[in-house]
Amino acid sequence: MSRLHDTLSDFTYCIITGLGLSDETTAVCPNYRIETALDIYRNNYRGNLHDALSHAYPVIEQLVGKDYFRYLSRHYVDRHPSVSGNLHQYGAEMAEFIAGFESAKGLAYLPDVAELEWACHCAYFAEDAGKLDVMALAKIPQAQYADLILNTHPSCQMVRSDYPIASIWNAHQPDADGDFHVTLDGIPSHTLVSRKDHAVKISALSEPEATWLAWIRSGASLGKSTDAAVNQCAAFDLHGLLLKLIDDGVLIHFTLRSTP
Amino acid sequence: MEKPATHSLPCAAGIGLRAPHYLEVLNERPHLGWVEVHSENFFGGGAPLNTLRQVRNHYPVSLHGVGMGLASTRALDQTHLSDLRRLCDMIQPAAVSEHLCWNASGGYVINDLLPFPYTEEALAHVVSRIDHVQERLDRQLLVENLSSYLSFSHSEMTEGEFMSELADRTGCGILLDVENLYVNTCNLGVDAKAFIASIPVDAVKEFHLAGYSERNGCLVDTHDHPVSTEVWRLYEYALLQIGPRPTLIEWDSDIPALGVLMGEAAEAQRRLEQHDVQAA
Repeated sequence: MSRLHDTLSDFTYCIITGLGLSDETTAVCPNYRIETALDIYRNNYRGNLHDALSHAYPVIEQLVGKDYFRYLSRHYVDRHPSVSGNLHQYGAEMAEFIAGFESAKGLAYLPDVAELEWACHCAYFAEDAGKLDVMALAKIPQAQYADLILNTHPSCQMVRSDYPIASIWNAHQPDADGDFHVTLDGIPSHTLVSRKDHAVKISALSEPEATWLAWIRSGASLGKSTDAAVNQCAAFDLHGLLLKLIDDGVLIHFTLRSTP
Repeated sequence: MEKPATHSLPCAAGIGLRAPHYLEVLNERPHLGWVEVHSENFFGGGAPLNTLRQVRNHYPVSLHGVGMGLASTRALDQTHLSDLRRLCDMIQPAAVSEHLCWNASGGYVINDLLPFPYTEEALAHVVSRIDHVQERLDRQLLVENLSSYLSFSHSEMTEGEFMSELADRTGCGILLDVENLYVNTCNLGVDAKAFIASIPVDAVKEFHLAGYSERNGCLVDTHDHPVSTEVWRLYEYALLQIGPRPTLIEWDSDIPALGVLMGEAAEAQRRLEQHDVQAA
């Protein structure tokens, strides 16, 4: 790939860096300056990526304000160019980026809120999956419960934070009542992201619940996962958690671990 | 060899269906010939796909891609292609289209529709990529002419000649965006009549109409205004030369009430029917 490839890479460099085209790229426009045309492409490039970030991170944008978000997104675009023709995939590194962004360090919870927003964004577009066959599950003999392997829905994700990010997120939803009091008490929180009837939903998990679900998601059996949660908290309510996760569509499928 | 389209669009006016109108269209089911959506917005599952499935139950759907990068010089994104194929299998669209542009080079994707020089080298390259896409989708792809803000003096042919060759060598269809063509006549001095004369009439399967805006003497393809008088006039000329084809009203930014889009679609429909009367 010779001349075409050279032209496209030169054009790419010009759009990304804001510098001019090389002499070999014979771009012309008869009715206005070439810079006018190049600026339209540069602005489209940055504008489309900014809009994608704004769409994926509405809570971050509200927390820091539109102007600062624009400043943040400009630096993000410089650091993380797009790698997919599907704009919904743009912005995955925002949490990490904010954590390293000097002027945002005063808001220590921002990276975790960003992680939660990205989890919600991915949950929205995640693949569909069937519902758990509760009747089939009821037919499993009790003696085999410990060997059950449970699978979670593709939209399901967990975010751990030292901050009450679920409260922060809820307070910035369009239907929030505006009564926003968040206590930064240093108690770790676990937030479950899932999707019910196509709507993304977040809910808080207790420490043992989060432990249980993390084991389940790693492929561990029901018995092993439950042991881990009970070791953490003897009062762990497996029955209640199962009902909630089945109702929320988090658990979608089960198999029996083959016993040797 | 032209691949058969499993279904085909009705020769009527349709609208580009965007998120602000999903609910209204599903609840009220207004009279629309067909709708077109951006393919990438429905990759994956969840609410977007569920909405599109419902829309598909009531209207013919055209899938219009903005991210394939037919002329990019790096390898076609196979995940993107698989996602599109899966969407086609689920939705059974009446048409699938992409733009004649590039969007990636080296490690970068520029999420835009970018122009390239129309050379023999580029032609061979794009032909092989369209072949690959049509093979993978197992259906005909419609390729849309681009609105462009610059051209390349080392181009060896016009965009119309380039598209004509594409249609001839790959069997792809042509989606003639009348507004893009108008924008190019103003910005780059493209001869719209020569363009229309240069493309094979039978390959043209769809028209697009939209509004543009102006920046520093350059018309920008912003899809944020009504169709202009000049574009309506060029559309009428295209109808005379090419004949009636499914026609879409596109509006992507500052999206107005659904009624405004339907009004524009009615204008296109009126011209389609007038043409039928004249032709009879």
